[in-house]
Amino acid sequence: MADAALALPPAPQPARPRVLLVGTALVAAGAFMAIVGLVGVYISARTNALATGGTWLPAGSSIPLTPGNMAFATMLLSGVSMWWAVDAVGKNDRQMAYLALALTIFFGIAVINATSFLYSQMDLAVSSTPGVLIFAVTGAHLAMIILGLVYAAVMTFRTLGGEYHGRDREGLTAAALFWYVTIAAHAVIWLAIYVTK
Amino acid sequence: MAVTETPPETVAAASEPALAAPRAEPRGLAAVLGSGDHKVIGRLFIITSLAFGLPMIVLGGLFAVEGTQPATLDVFSRDTVFQFFTLFRVGGVFLLALPLVIGVAMVVVPLQVGARAIAFPRAAAASYWGWLMGSALLVASYLMNGGPGGGRASGVNLWIAALGLITVALLVAAVSLATTVLALRTTGLTLDRTPLFAWSVAVAAILWILTLPVLVGLLVVMYVDHRHGGSSFGSNAGLYGQLAWVLRNPQIYTVAVPVLGFAGDVLATTARTRIAPRFAAQGAIGAFGILGFGAFLAGATGEIYKEWLVIALALVAVLPVLAILGLAGDLFRRGSFRLTAGALYATSALLVLLLGTLSGAVASIPAWSPAGSIADIGVGHAAVLAAVIASLGGVHWWATKIGLQPANEALGRLAPLVLLLGSAAIVIPDVVSGIFGDGPELAPDWTGGIEGLNVVVVVGTVLVLLGILAAAASLLPLLKAGTDVPADPWEGQTLEWLAPSPPPLANFEGDLAVVTSAEPLVDLSEEN
Repeated sequence: MADAALALPPAPQPARPRVLLVGTALVAAGAFMAIVGLVGVYISARTNALATGGTWLPAGSSIPLTPGNMAFATMLLSGVSMWWAVDAVGKNDRQMAYLALALTIFFGIAVINATSFLYSQMDLAVSSTPGVLIFAVTGAHLAMIILGLVYAAVMTFRTLGGEYHGRDREGLTAAALFWYVTIAAHAVIWLAIYVTK
Repeated sequence: MAVTETPPETVAAASEPALAAPRAEPRGLAAVLGSGDHKVIGRLFIITSLAFGLPMIVLGGLFAVEGTQPATLDVFSRDTVFQFFTLFRVGGVFLLALPLVIGVAMVVVPLQVGARAIAFPRAAAASYWGWLMGSALLVASYLMNGGPGGGRASGVNLWIAALGLITVALLVAAVSLATTVLALRTTGLTLDRTPLFAWSVAVAAILWILTLPVLVGLLVVMYVDHRHGGSSFGSNAGLYGQLAWVLRNPQIYTVAVPVLGFAGDVLATTARTRIAPRFAAQGAIGAFGILGFGAFLAGATGEIYKEWLVIALALVAVLPVLAILGLAGDLFRRGSFRLTAGALYATSALLVLLLGTLSGAVASIPAWSPAGSIADIGVGHAAVLAAVIASLGGVHWWATKIGLQPANEALGRLAPLVLLLGSAAIVIPDVVSGIFGDGPELAPDWTGGIEGLNVVVVVGTVLVLLGILAAAASLLPLLKAGTDVPADPWEGQTLEWLAPSPPPLANFEGDLAVVTSAEPLVDLSEEN
């Protein structure tokens, strides 16, 4: 019996454990749930306020749609540039990869800028219930964006250092996955807060 | 046909970055403070959570003492009673049950899946130190008159921030544990062959990752709100109501998911037989986890807990526990059962969890128990106590992997029986009071409950404390270095018993063989 075992052909080479990708997927899922939970609290509070015949936003406050739309459109564009970066690393096209990652980081910073501009236009006090919730939801998402940007930047430097190339691009794929989830969270916020208000 | 075979050299090379063994073992204080070794971190979690948890159980007992004669006894002053009550409820879950389960899982899970280290070891270490700092700050917030109902605004803010830190730290630990099971299993150990304890920890960790971030979000809102006047959540006392969903069913069941996995692994080994319907056991554990998804109730109080979905979840949650009990019965029927402390711990934890889920089912029915009654506290206690019993059982069962020597078996057999009795005496009176009286869930108000039953709760609390002390006494040998400590004292079935006792820094000596079944050690013994 033991001889039969020794005569077996060698086992196929197992796939490299994708620890970073799996860990990132779990963290991204958790971050998405935090945003969804916050949006749920926002919707619940707004529904309760409207059900009692009141108004949601305080008098004089408004949420202008244009900066919100611009931020979301930029976020979608950053998704394309991130996909481009992962694809370029997959093809060992380092120059395109650097360009795409730099563009993604630029788009992310532009979203932060657009959101801060939106804050200046809302004229909304933090002490009101809508103020608490809107700043908490969008602030949490900004934190997620910053985390995603730092993650993408680290992976960019690692790519520059030659750690990721060709088929082995786990770190960059993980950063991209987190970024896509950040975009999905932005979509939820855009619809629930900026569009529906 | 041989059931194991030597893996090709390429296996080690292919997984080198994740599995590489550290070169030198740190010593002294550095071995504790700077360690990324999952066994050291797990031990720290176990010891500190018990140190934080025992005062919580004493607090529970003092509440019961006051409840026996609320009109004449004043154990707590009117000003502080609500703060102590919230410390008891929040501390029982976040300072005792969750970190204790995580501590045992952190030591055992990487060994069970044949990993050389836990995934993200530095993050795992950071999770412990973050949790410890958060727990210390949480207690400090109460000391400075903070917490829900506190009179000092900065103390209330500190409480919210501390609970946020604790939750994030536990989430980091959950990510490490789930990633270890999902991505660091040894060659051949497919997910369906994963030991039941590791599987249950993965299920629980994923559920925590999907639900506890909602609590973090809620705490962010609370913090911003409280810092700016507290317009959204009313008084300080309202903060507790917003997070009560974490402390009651269905969400509280996620804390107890590893109970099922622990019971499955221990009882199969004790019965010296394989688990026949393995997919059913894994399915039951997964189903129990899914039924514990309570994030959709975040911030909710009152009648929403009597909606059909919540009732249905509470009624169905009994079935997975019954399924694992049925599996245990099947193991006893087919195998040659040994009366070990581990088996008694497993059975006790399962029975307490069954009591909890049955109580949850009964308390969910609107005609029998109103929304937000004291019965819900009883259900929460059952889940927490089941998790604590299983964790103590885990420390006993895996003593040679966690500590330096096997635990004392005689004391170890006594402890779960005392804990079972004590738990029943704590849980049942709360459920009965909820059904036949009208004690509230969210406040320490004894006027609506059945006062006489609080005597039973006092006795139950004393028994639980004695049970924990007996368990602690049985675990004392773990602290002394021994000679010829057996690697496998139980004729184990899973990979952790291949590791030397105590396990070295890289867990295993030499390469592991390719796993070809869910019970590789049984394969090995049958082969020989």
